[in-house]
Amino acid sequence: MDRIARRSAAIILLVVLLLGGLGFFVVEYFMDAHQWVMTEGSPHVYNGTNIGCGVVTDRDGAVLLDMDGERTYASDPGLRASTLHWLGDRYGYISAPAVSTYAQQMAGFDPVSGLYSYSGSGTTTLTLSAQVQMAALEAMGDNKGTVAVYNYKTGEIICAVSTPTYDPDDPPQITQENEAEFEGVYVNRFTRSAYVPGSIFKIVTMAAALEEIPDIREQTFVCTGSYAYPTDPVTCEYAHGTLDLDSALAQSCNCAFASIVDQLGPETLERYVRKYGVTAPVSFDGITTVAGNFDVTDAGVDQIAWSGIGQHKDQINPCAYLTFLGAIANGGAPVQPYVVSQVTCGPKVTYEASATVGEHIMDPQIAQELQKMMENNVAEKYGVENFPDMTVCAKSGTAQSDNKGSNALFAGFVADEELPLAFIVVVEEGGYGRLACVPIISKVLAVCKDVMGS
Amino acid sequence: MDQMVDSLQGMDSAFVGVFLAVMRFVAPVLVLMILWRCCKPLLTFRPEPEIWAWLVMKDGKKIPVLHWENVIGQHKRSDILIDFPTVSRNHAVLTRYDDGSWTITDTDSKNGVFVNGKRIRIHALEEEDEISIGGVEMTLQPISKQQVERLGQLRTKASSGMESIANLLVLSIFQALTCIAFLFTSQSVVPILAGFGGIMALQWALLVFYLIIRRPAFEVETVAFLLCTMGMAAICSVKPEESVKQLVALCMGIVVFLLVGWSMRDLERAKKMRYVAAVGGILLLAVTLVFGKEYYGAKNWLVIGPMSIQPSELAKVCFVYVGASAMDRLLDKRNLITFIVYTLVVCGCLALMNDFGTALIFFFAFLMIAYMRSGSIGTIALAVTALGFAGITALNIAPHALKRFSSWRHIWDDPLGAGYQQTRALMCIGSGGIFGLGIGQGWMKNLFAADSDMVFATLSEEWGLIVPVLLVLAIMALALFTVRSSAVSRSSFYTIGACTAATILVVQTMFNVLGTLDVLPLTGVTFPFVSNGGSSMICAWGLLAFVKAADTRQNASFAVRSGKWRRQDG
Repeated sequence: MDRIARRSAAIILLVVLLLGGLGFFVVEYFMDAHQWVMTEGSPHVYNGTNIGCGVVTDRDGAVLLDMDGERTYASDPGLRASTLHWLGDRYGYISAPAVSTYAQQMAGFDPVSGLYSYSGSGTTTLTLSAQVQMAALEAMGDNKGTVAVYNYKTGEIICAVSTPTYDPDDPPQITQENEAEFEGVYVNRFTRSAYVPGSIFKIVTMAAALEEIPDIREQTFVCTGSYAYPTDPVTCEYAHGTLDLDSALAQSCNCAFASIVDQLGPETLERYVRKYGVTAPVSFDGITTVAGNFDVTDAGVDQIAWSGIGQHKDQINPCAYLTFLGAIANGGAPVQPYVVSQVTCGPKVTYEASATVGEHIMDPQIAQELQKMMENNVAEKYGVENFPDMTVCAKSGTAQSDNKGSNALFAGFVADEELPLAFIVVVEEGGYGRLACVPIISKVLAVCKDVMGS
Repeated sequence: MDQMVDSLQGMDSAFVGVFLAVMRFVAPVLVLMILWRCCKPLLTFRPEPEIWAWLVMKDGKKIPVLHWENVIGQHKRSDILIDFPTVSRNHAVLTRYDDGSWTITDTDSKNGVFVNGKRIRIHALEEEDEISIGGVEMTLQPISKQQVERLGQLRTKASSGMESIANLLVLSIFQALTCIAFLFTSQSVVPILAGFGGIMALQWALLVFYLIIRRPAFEVETVAFLLCTMGMAAICSVKPEESVKQLVALCMGIVVFLLVGWSMRDLERAKKMRYVAAVGGILLLAVTLVFGKEYYGAKNWLVIGPMSIQPSELAKVCFVYVGASAMDRLLDKRNLITFIVYTLVVCGCLALMNDFGTALIFFFAFLMIAYMRSGSIGTIALAVTALGFAGITALNIAPHALKRFSSWRHIWDDPLGAGYQQTRALMCIGSGGIFGLGIGQGWMKNLFAADSDMVFATLSEEWGLIVPVLLVLAIMALALFTVRSSAVSRSSFYTIGACTAATILVVQTMFNVLGTLDVLPLTGVTFPFVSNGGSSMICAWGLLAFVKAADTRQNASFAVRSGKWRRQDG
């Protein structure tokens, strides 16, 4: 009997095993629970692939989306459509990485309280302005493309609209007939597309020339409408005649730029493309933009020239190019863009964005010279009257792509201390950059000026 | 009543919010308090041996006889150690019967057992009989009725009636607060009131019954009722419409608890009952095999009219009963072989049913019984049986359980497929934190088996991690109590019964909880008392009867006879 009684101690072994397993879990809990809770699909944080708790507002506190339960979007259909690519839809077709990235800060998880909130749910404040977004969408009309404005001093993205878009409260039935109309509707073109830049790329070539070719400022260029190479010539639409450097940029003379590229050589140009970060992806708020492209390997001399003019194999991402323009405006130092300015959980601020200023990518003096040239572009070509009460510096582009109409591009910035905004507009198949884009950005900048109170 | 419910549901939402928020902290405190009050006496009582007789040696030395079965021999772990060269290691067994009579049996000793000069194999002892064990002479002196009563009074007291009432009052307060919280947050008024009200009525009725029969110790039962209350909380949150069904199962469980306990009051009765249990267990499984329905891969359900039961759960109680008594009382080889054959039949039935989870539990129960039984005999036979059992189990695993093993510790690789249930469980446990999201505020109700296989996560999400962890600790406390009470157990039947029952409770808890948490593979066994499931509830209470039968504290257990002295001669 005594022996049998002693064998009952085997139960202690089982109890120890159970206790050990439970202890193992408790350790796991304190180490990993934040990951479990924030994993996509976590019932109290996510609604499908999109975050499912808290409220998203614009820079002025206007509620764009209440994510609890069924997701309630803003009451204005235009606002709903213009912010769709930042907020995501109800069905997970469009994901909203910027908002989801701060799920933990918004949900306010900690291992002791879990997601229990003592003072209401979280709020994410975006840098976007509802008014500018709506104005930008309206200005884009039925065009496909993107229009974006960001503060090159702070990095705040004031506006970034991607079209086509739709009202998440009234999603379209996409069929074979209207497929073309909604091509790429689920993609945020600002961050997830790469376009052939066309002549807006001449800013890069010009910057490289100013840095590399000592007498470039004294050079003049004679344009006969064609710049001969042993293979194919580089051509302009018409003969520009004799041009100084400023006019070469203002007139966007391909022949002049072919001459400049010849002087630079492909290696030097490539080095500057890399130095300026024109094709590198930009990362912020859990978003990494697609990479651009600049490739002159095995290119013929004329192809190298076209590369310096923003054709050939060149591709830029609108967000990355916007950052490059911001660097020129900011005296050569790029400021990383961002879209989430603040996250709160109850009264507690759990995330606060701040400006991330990068290393100088170009000499302040070069940046200054480029600014002047781009300001001259507006005076000579685009019309200062389109931008009342602001000093706009810009460059347009018309990018030929193989089988479609030309894409219209327009990129630049406002060189005013009180309105430090860089911008980029892409209108797919919009034809001439100036004609398609200037009216759009003119309206958008006017609203920006209103909103920013200057 | 209606008015009260209406006024509860019409409460100001701010008040409801505050109430639920306060409950997040009050609940773990109350649960801890109940467990502390109940488990402390269970784990700290002084295990005092009971003296049933004295062996008086020639030189007048008296050796106390502490159990109902006592091995006499030279082995240092003998109950009665006689260190003399002519005494075999296991020489004889001295056995007491319910009526107070004693027998002595020779267990194949070298030099034999002599009573009044005659070599015997088994002999019913009379007073003044001269016993000679390997030449060592002695007489047996059973204690008198007065001595029994005196000893009984001196024994460590279990909780008094007042303590039991106080413990149950704390539990009732906890249940009332829980019920109110559910009424605030749920529309299922009747099931909630019936569920919690029913448990409260049952627990008080049982305590009153105990007080009437003067067995006031109620710690083990209070712990069980607490576990049932938390199970009811999971049901009210997940499937309130099933609360009454679970309450009926609880009722039946208590009836089984009382019946099994009563059958063990008397060892002779228990010996007869074991045949009923053996046949009953096989019948339950056989009927399931023939008429059973297959759900989720295992053909282990029996549907009778509106009821569906899992007979394999009930078979567990029978198995423990048979296992504990299979050896008769004399460590006999023949009985062991019978039990091995019985085990093989049972596991064969389970293999045919494809019931992997239950087979696993039976396997652990068998191992425990085998370990406790196998001292010097039958070890090899047991090992072989264990191997056969494992083999059949392994074959059984292959089709539908293998999938679970492949996702074990890899649930995040396939969070929408094989790992869906457990990843959701972990997400919800994390969301609940230590104190929970609040009663009725969980998401787990959307998950399959949230109130059974996944009940730990369901409770953790709403009540916080502390409460379900305390429930696991409660099961551990019951098991440790069993170990402590084993030392002073009267008969190996009670010890083995209690230890096997405790093993099943711990192993089920282990596979259920650690399976949910992906520490072990998910096997789909139930959390005793907590998981929603009638058969499982009845089984848990049936097993608790074995734990209760080993509680020899003064006036502690209805399943233990005490203070009553019955002799054939008067």
